[in-house]
Amino acid sequence: MVEDRIIDRETFGYLKEHAPVLFFVLSEEGRIVDANAYACSLTGRSLVGENLRNIIVDFSGRFDLKAVMGEPSLEPLIHIGTASGLPQSFYFTFKPVSDHILALGRLDAEEIEKTRKEVSALNQELNNLMRELHKKNAQLKRLDEEKNQFLGMAAHDLRKPIGLIITYSEFLMEEAADLLDGEQKGFLNTINSSCTFMKRLVDDFLDVSAIEAGRFDLELQLVNITTILEESLKLNHLQAIKKGIVLQVQAGECTQRMAMDASKIEQAITNLVSNAIEHTQPGTKVNIALACDQQSMTFSVRDRGPGIPPEEMKKLFKPFEKTSAKKTGGEKSTGLGMLITRKIIEAHGGEIWVDSTLGSGTTVYFRLPRKGWEQ
Amino acid sequence: MIEESVYEKYLSALLAGRRSECHDIVQKLLANGIDLKELYGKLFQRSMYQVGELWENNRITVANEHLATSITESLLNLAYPSIFATERIGKKAVISCSANEFHQVGGKMVADILELNGWDGHFLGANTPPEDMVQYIQEVKPDLVGLSLSIFSNIGHLERCIDVVKTDFPNMDLLIGGQAFRWGGTDTIKRHSRAEYVPSLDELERSIKGA
Repeated sequence: MVEDRIIDRETFGYLKEHAPVLFFVLSEEGRIVDANAYACSLTGRSLVGENLRNIIVDFSGRFDLKAVMGEPSLEPLIHIGTASGLPQSFYFTFKPVSDHILALGRLDAEEIEKTRKEVSALNQELNNLMRELHKKNAQLKRLDEEKNQFLGMAAHDLRKPIGLIITYSEFLMEEAADLLDGEQKGFLNTINSSCTFMKRLVDDFLDVSAIEAGRFDLELQLVNITTILEESLKLNHLQAIKKGIVLQVQAGECTQRMAMDASKIEQAITNLVSNAIEHTQPGTKVNIALACDQQSMTFSVRDRGPGIPPEEMKKLFKPFEKTSAKKTGGEKSTGLGMLITRKIIEAHGGEIWVDSTLGSGTTVYFRLPRKGWEQ
Repeated sequence: MIEESVYEKYLSALLAGRRSECHDIVQKLLANGIDLKELYGKLFQRSMYQVGELWENNRITVANEHLATSITESLLNLAYPSIFATERIGKKAVISCSANEFHQVGGKMVADILELNGWDGHFLGANTPPEDMVQYIQEVKPDLVGLSLSIFSNIGHLERCIDVVKTDFPNMDLLIGGQAFRWGGTDTIKRHSRAEYVPSLDELERSIKGA
């Protein structure tokens, strides 16, 4: 008969090495005398000498191995702990052979099919969610663009009438001063200062709108940074004098020209110096420093203000967020200046950072890299 | 233009379950500016139909077919940044597979082609009960509804779906298609008013441009 010739040592060795089922030779007590390659690979260890109970995952705590081993007609579903940590289920048969027991465990084909379907369904769901995510992202991007467009249009359309109000109020204050009483002059002053602030706000809105829409182009030219600093200080000079603040400037050897957008860097410096003046106590000073080396140019401005609490530092560059540090002259801010300044510096490949000590003051730094910016 | 050698390489990788190789091929085609409709029709749809035939002829297993489908679905994600960036034209569609229909790639591709043409393509997924579909249609108020059928034995479910939708929305335009109809069976669709069989993605585009 064929069956008598099947299990010679060589064949047994082949089956032990390659059969995709769990195969154990057990003692009557369930100790593993021999295990096939699949079983060792699945559990991640050699198994010989262990009790079969050691590799069984018994969720109920009531599994009676001895009882099932003694009943060859049963085909119990046993969960085996695998090397991955997840249990895998096998249908086992036990067959007594002389003073040993052969145990065979086959995979639950239904379980595999069920798992495969579940994975397939989850994968489908994941792909559907990815589609929705891409769709929502595109919608958000469109809304953002519309918002920027609206912002830009609104600011642009407001600029002209505001400009007219400023011009005519200034004209009236100059030409009709003799005809106006104190109260009326006060009204005109209020109109002028409010519109001047509105104009700054509109200009900042336009800048932010351009930045957000990706229209923030730099017009690079070779300039000397000290020239830009001088122009900026001219703009801030009057503001400083009104508050009795001295602008102390320390400009190092910065004679080499660098490529930059002169008007935007001037805007950044003017904004930072103006902020410093607004936060500094009258009768004190603001320190401005410029240092250049082979790699970069570093600008800093230090005020003698109240300082910024550490937990508020993250608000500095966010639009419309204001810290608790009050301006010493009651000046108003648009809440966009630092955001715009940072965008200008970062567009030049630079970085901006702030040091502040409560009760002592705040220093704002920015550094522009020299390399890659010079022609 | 997708060269035949590229297609053969892709199909071979798809059938072997070599996901990253398929990914690289599609990524390269996109980087070279492939027309998305061509990508969908000449690569994804063509290969999925071939996979379907191989399965029907027992040349590959159902597990093989599912893996190929799963890879194809994941590759659609690569096209989404371009597809959803197109300008909207203010039209909406609801696309779904009928109840018991678990093959959703075809329906999804239809929703994507609609998006590519500026429509807002709401895709409900596989195995959608008709009552859920009707509720969604009531919320979204689409200009048309698309139904996809991949396995012809699910035709009864499709018919029920059409009946349920037409009961609540008798004037709704229905576009119906899918691999199930490759060898016939479109009479079912013709029995219903304002229901049109769409045999291909090209026909779909022609149909919606007239809508």
